[in-house]
Amino acid sequence: MTNEPNRGTPSLSPVLLAGFALRPLPLVLLQPALDLAMSLMRRRHSDVFERLDALENASFLIDPVDLPFCFTLRLGPAAPRLWAVGTGGDMESPSAVLRGPLLVLIRLLEGRMDGDAAFFSRDLAVEGDMEAVLTLRNAVDSGGIDLAEDLLSLFGPMNGPARRALGVAEALFARAERDLESVRAAFVASVEGRCDAQTARLRDLEDDLADLRTRMPRANAAGKRAAKPGAARL
Amino acid sequence: MVPAAKLTLGPVLYNWPAEVKRDFYFRIADEAAVDVVYLGEVVCSKRSSFFEPYVPEVSERLARAGKEVVHSTLALIMNEREMEAVRALTAAPDLRVEANDISGAALLAGRPHVIGPFVNVYNEGTLEVLVRGGADRVVLPCELPAGSLEVLGRAAGNAELEIQVFGRLPLALSARCYHARAHDLHKDGCRYVCEEDPDGMALETLEGDGFLAVNGTQTLSHSLCCLLRELEALRDLGIGCFRLWPQSVDMVAVAGIFRGVLDGRDDAAEAEARLGELADIAPFSNGFYHGREGADLVAGGTFSPVG
Amino acid sequence: MSGTPLELVCPAGTPGALRAAVDAGADVVYLGFRDETNARNFPGLNFSRPELRDGLAYAHERGCRIYVAVNTFAAAGNPDPWHRAVDDAAELGADALILADIGLLDYARRRHPETRRHLSVQASASNPTAIAYYHEAFGVQRVVLPRVLTVTEIARLNAQIPVETEVFAFGGMCVMAEGRCVLSAYATGRSPNMNGVCSPASHVRYEQLGGRMVSRLGRFTINQFPDGEPAGYPTLCKGRFVAGGCAGYLFEEPTSLDASTVLPELMAAGVRALKIEGRQRGRAYIAEVVAAFRRAVDAAARGDPVPPLGLGGMTEGLRETTGAYAKTWR
Repeated sequence: MTNEPNRGTPSLSPVLLAGFALRPLPLVLLQPALDLAMSLMRRRHSDVFERLDALENASFLIDPVDLPFCFTLRLGPAAPRLWAVGTGGDMESPSAVLRGPLLVLIRLLEGRMDGDAAFFSRDLAVEGDMEAVLTLRNAVDSGGIDLAEDLLSLFGPMNGPARRALGVAEALFARAERDLESVRAAFVASVEGRCDAQTARLRDLEDDLADLRTRMPRANAAGKRAAKPGAARL
Repeated sequence: MVPAAKLTLGPVLYNWPAEVKRDFYFRIADEAAVDVVYLGEVVCSKRSSFFEPYVPEVSERLARAGKEVVHSTLALIMNEREMEAVRALTAAPDLRVEANDISGAALLAGRPHVIGPFVNVYNEGTLEVLVRGGADRVVLPCELPAGSLEVLGRAAGNAELEIQVFGRLPLALSARCYHARAHDLHKDGCRYVCEEDPDGMALETLEGDGFLAVNGTQTLSHSLCCLLRELEALRDLGIGCFRLWPQSVDMVAVAGIFRGVLDGRDDAAEAEARLGELADIAPFSNGFYHGREGADLVAGGTFSPVG
Repeated sequence: MSGTPLELVCPAGTPGALRAAVDAGADVVYLGFRDETNARNFPGLNFSRPELRDGLAYAHERGCRIYVAVNTFAAAGNPDPWHRAVDDAAELGADALILADIGLLDYARRRHPETRRHLSVQASASNPTAIAYYHEAFGVQRVVLPRVLTVTEIARLNAQIPVETEVFAFGGMCVMAEGRCVLSAYATGRSPNMNGVCSPASHVRYEQLGGRMVSRLGRFTINQFPDGEPAGYPTLCKGRFVAGGCAGYLFEEPTSLDASTVLPELMAAGVRALKIEGRQRGRAYIAEVVAAFRRAVDAAARGDPVPPLGLGGMTEGLRETTGAYAKTWR
């Protein structure tokens, strides 16, 4: 519901400040991370996507009002896709629009916040095809999505050579989970703290995961963005 | 052979002054081409006592005029006093009663009675149970589409089926009185403000479109259901009784129009035009029969929304 | 006073919500299949047969029961989906069926006499004679009371009937007698009784007009909310309309029922179980509301004062009412 006026003047938040840092980033650079996040979600939460089957050709504009860009989510016969778009919301007539602060959207995605309550308090704004919105909400809520855990799963195919290093990997996994949680928590911390923490944690992550020969830059990007696909699913 | 169609007059749902109601029924007895007349307060037990003194006189006059008289029970029964009223009505062995709550049907079990439109009969399974309990006529809920009516028509056996063909659609019942609420009163001290609105209190959307009508604890449609053009099809579906809900229009003339179409004397479309002039308090609707929004008016296979 | 705790009957629209309810202390979780056989037939919601099987296992392992709602009215000429819902729920081991349709009650009694039958609120059984009928004719062992009765009326009723009663304690509130309202069908062609939906999302539109959010249902405007004002569902009976030249909430404000303050009175009135509304709500709602009511029910059973639940943020229009339990509501 937040509407155009609110879109223009989101409340001051760490996310908003972080958004300024992201502003120069060409949106196309986000795409590999978004694609990766979506395929991960489909793998880990097939039940969620099964519930979305009822939506034949729905498209959503997901607008974290405190970020300088939006996401579009398209569902249909082909694999669902998520794109980052400018705040003009260039999407040609989406089925529905969801607007809210990024953290609200993430909490909704993870089922940690009730969508109706967010709507009643008007932290969440919805427009357009409400059946599509409800289907999306109900599907996402059914799934037990946990962004940190989901994204960390990228690093953990415990097979082949990795199996031998299971003990080590488990420790690293736990460490990475902790670290990523810190990154997420940092979003709500003060902006200076956030930047420092993020830099530090990301360096840690990088070191840890190099051992596992995971493709670090991509995974890392996913770690940061996954929040948004998530938000998208809300 | 299909038995002759019956035209029925449902109970007055609104709080008309008792004398107005008495005179209304006298005129119905003397002039209206209806076969069955339902009497009694269905909506609010607080109103019941006003008309009760006139009931013997009115029912006798209706019976003398050859009308079948049926006594309707309250629809929402929430306390001992209301239950007692239903018990008293159903205890009289020679009264024909319409049960508008399942409690009434339970008390009437084993002898012929009518199931009113406020009891939920949506399918053949339910119809069968109620007919087994003694119902010989079942007035169906207003939201049933033609497809459901057809199935029920086949399943009814010897029981008659009745549906509403004229009047505001009874959409909801509540414990709360919205008439009182709109006047900043409580139900207990309502001052019978519902008497001011003989067709219910108009309720519009914020944009000024007619939408609903409030009748005390009951909510009705703004539009008037009119199934004149559907009468022939309804007869083919096995519906034998056609209910007119009283509105504050010339109900004798309304009955005459329906009678003319039922008897095959008059053309339905032309009759509908005449009815429109006579009952001009609101636009017509027939959406439920056609499986659409109840507020819709489907005309000759095409669809045109009404306000 | 103290006594046996009220049974806490909690909603679930998804397996995630079911686990949340069980983990938060529900005695019972009620749910429905993913079709028109239950009164929360919302898109993306409800359970498949395998999900019910898993849910039953999860609940039963933790000492929690599952009631399956098949509480819409079977369609004339097509009773199969309703019959299958009853058959499958009974065969999978549901602890009770929640039914409203007389034809379906009759079917369940004949086919699955051993499965407990509860009367849904949708049957609108509001007096002892009606309840006795459902008990005698169909062996109903519990009735969910319509949200039209005061606590005093409930107490009097309990003294006269041979079955348990369950009442609504929290959540969305019908202001109309349940099962006897076709307002939704009038505006959208889809009704609680026939389709299991009220004011369905498919017919809802929100539009931002100037500084207001306008909600529409079908072609009717239901409400307008100025920016910053708490919002409600675009449910017809919670809309703002004009009567006698005045615009307002003619039927009811956007509000939620909260009967936590009258729990001791409900216990004293002989009520057996408390029901929380909200199969359409998210896991977060379920977890928070169920946990709060667990505390409240246990406190009431010990004879302690019921602590404030702090559930204001979960309520529609961010407001609460004790609804029909107080006579002044009428």
